[in-house]
Amino acid sequence: MKNRKYRTYILVWLALVILTGITVSMAGMDLGLLSIAIVLIIAAIKSGLVLSYFMHLKYETGLLFKLMIPIVLAALTVFIGLTFSDVAFR
Amino acid sequence: MTQNGVLEKTYPAASFYDHQGKYRGILAWILSTDHKRIGLLYLGLILLFFSVAVFFGFLMRLKLIAPGFPLMKPQMYNAIFTLHGIIQIFLVVIPAIPAIFGNFFLPIQIGARDMAFPKINLLSWWLYASGAAIVFLSLFTAGGPIDTGWTFYAPYSLRTTVNVPLAVFGVFILGMSSILTGVNLVTTTHRLRAPGMSWFRLPLFVWGVYATAWVQILATPVIGITFALIMIERYFGIGVFDPAKGGDPLLYQHLFWIYSHPAVYIMILPAMGVVSEVIPVFSRKNIFGYKAIAFSSIAIASVGSLVWGHHMFVSGQSDFASVIFSLLTFLVAVPSAIKVFNWVATLYKGSIELKPPLLFALTFIFLFSIGGLTGLIQGALAVNMHLHDTYWVVGHFHYIIFGGMGFGFLAALHYWFPKMFGKMYDMKRTIGGWIILFIGFNILYFPMLILGWEGMPRRYYDYPPPFHTLHLISTIGSWILIAGLIWIFFNLIQGLRRGEKAEDNPWKGASLEWQIPSPPPTHNFEKIPIVGKGPYEFG
Amino acid sequence: METHRDDMGSKIGMWLFLLSEILLFGGLFILYSSYRYKNPIDFHLAAWELDRVLGTFNTLILITSSLSIVLSIFFVQKGNRRLSGLFLLATIFLGILFLGIKYVEWTAKIGHGLYPNSPRLLGRSKGEILFFGLYYSMTGLHGLHVLIGLFILSAMLVLVMKGKINEHRFVPLENTGLYWHLVDIIWIFLFPLFYLIT
Repeated sequence: MKNRKYRTYILVWLALVILTGITVSMAGMDLGLLSIAIVLIIAAIKSGLVLSYFMHLKYETGLLFKLMIPIVLAALTVFIGLTFSDVAFR
Repeated sequence: MTQNGVLEKTYPAASFYDHQGKYRGILAWILSTDHKRIGLLYLGLILLFFSVAVFFGFLMRLKLIAPGFPLMKPQMYNAIFTLHGIIQIFLVVIPAIPAIFGNFFLPIQIGARDMAFPKINLLSWWLYASGAAIVFLSLFTAGGPIDTGWTFYAPYSLRTTVNVPLAVFGVFILGMSSILTGVNLVTTTHRLRAPGMSWFRLPLFVWGVYATAWVQILATPVIGITFALIMIERYFGIGVFDPAKGGDPLLYQHLFWIYSHPAVYIMILPAMGVVSEVIPVFSRKNIFGYKAIAFSSIAIASVGSLVWGHHMFVSGQSDFASVIFSLLTFLVAVPSAIKVFNWVATLYKGSIELKPPLLFALTFIFLFSIGGLTGLIQGALAVNMHLHDTYWVVGHFHYIIFGGMGFGFLAALHYWFPKMFGKMYDMKRTIGGWIILFIGFNILYFPMLILGWEGMPRRYYDYPPPFHTLHLISTIGSWILIAGLIWIFFNLIQGLRRGEKAEDNPWKGASLEWQIPSPPPTHNFEKIPIVGKGPYEFG
Repeated sequence: METHRDDMGSKIGMWLFLLSEILLFGGLFILYSSYRYKNPIDFHLAAWELDRVLGTFNTLILITSSLSIVLSIFFVQKGNRRLSGLFLLATIFLGILFLGIKYVEWTAKIGHGLYPNSPRLLGRSKGEILFFGLYYSMTGLHGLHVLIGLFILSAMLVLVMKGKINEHRFVPLENTGLYWHLVDIIWIFLFPLFYLIT
């Protein structure tokens, strides 16, 4: 158990480094809107890894810990979405 | 203290006023981490700022008593309505109920000895006091008092010569205080509930404050960053809101209202919580629809965060956005109405005792309903074109903020006064004061609705003669309202000085704060209580 | 009265504070997305001018510092305060390195006359002015968070060395870790938004 946790951290770090490598090399290709989407998805995966392993969200119990991030993401999405209902249709 | 129950009755624990801490005198207050003392510290400052802002309101009304009345210069008038708004909104109404009564009573009502983070609680008060000091300081710096209106709209706030950066920095600090208070209240509610105090045994005041605290945590940072950008823009000219550099002033308005509309719910939700406390106690009935009221608080907090665009119907935002925001605005009326119906249903066939707290709570329902319904009228797109930026809007939000939150505050003060101070005020005199206040309130604000309907724009320094009569009536109303306020607070001060000693449970309430001595001992509970029933189950 | 200690409570409090931090940056993301939507070509051109190599390097530094703080917490829980302190020191070093590189980047940009309100920048298209306005305010605010984090980390280092933080009481260090990871996450988004999407 002890060493496993240790190893998990290093594996997560390795994954983060690899994902960084992928985004940087992806950025060279010109895929238009798709490249924005890919870059953002990779950033989301990276932060998901940091949140669940480094920040221990995966190991916390309780409804509050499960709901926190979805609540914030929902708030942010709705704020941006409603702002775009103006910006994109003006 | 002792095993002997009789002895405990004879020598009750010393009240928190007599507590001997590390410090003496004023330091025993401003360095105390006791949630009750911090609550009273907020009460002191907030009442001070309130009286300043009322005075500014009085000056504004006096200026408008007749067309061309030569009381002050236009620039002075701009400064005064700006200050009236900033002080009332940021310094008084937003913190009032959560910071005073939330601090004092939320821990007691859930059976805790203090907040989760007592030191951060004290820090919040210090941030509040410093933020307020900075806002006041900005009046005396070069350029004179701020004249932007409390909304600090760009690009004017980027161009005006007055010291906007300092003022918004003050508000930024106030925001930090508000966020930390929110963090404290949420954590306390999650972690410090006494054994048996399940979520559905929480008093509804706790639900109201809890929902508010979430809005404080999630919405306040948005205005924080907006004001930070105003500062950066003024000092470095980054151009994010300046149309000359490609910035979009409408995005300033979006960011501003993403916080400032939910702020209205920061004001009103705790007041609704107070009303939900008072009504069952004075009708001797369990609350009707506990869960509906509890969840409608959460619903108001969430849907209320999605309606900010209705402040921008005539700003040039897209028609599509206006339609969506108008729809959402109508939606938020539903949970508010649920609350009103449940309160009325609680009163129905109760044995009602019309004591001052109930009187103020009922006034809340009446005035809040007027405020809410006028809000629906101006929430309709076509009507809004006519009413936007007129006195109608001024009347509407005073019915909500003063009629709603203000009367909710007075209900809370008169309900919990005996518990906070251990003294009782003269109830008959309170009712006299209420009559004056209620009449003055309606004479002051109702004419504004008509004025706005007739086309009188808000924030104007002067007006043509046809509007004279209604403005005159409104100004006279302001005098009556101030007389009522003085009467009510004078009566409370009299009660404080020579009122009778209050009983521990003068209203026969069933929630936990009424089961401990008045005023409460330092650690609230000798032993943490084990809760076996709901907050409104009267014997 | 006995002083009451609630580790879970402290952690919840920290998380709630971090949520409000997310929305603090959230306000800037609202601005970024709106302005990017309105000026896609200007944003595309301006992004080319940022140094992608330095940006990538800084990303790797922050990711590694996240690992080192996690290991520091791991070792303090195991009772190995020496290793814990060492990893904290590494975190602080990486944080300083990050700010150093940021400093080099900013001075290079300023040296090219590209800073807010500069005559050269004002001569460009409006979208580019906005891009650099957002670039300076967002990376600036992030840098400020790194700086504050460095002070907190140094305080933690002192506490670990004094033994005030040990295998029985490590919540302050855990909370510092949470803060540091959040700063990392913000950068994980800032990096592609400013350096990569072109």
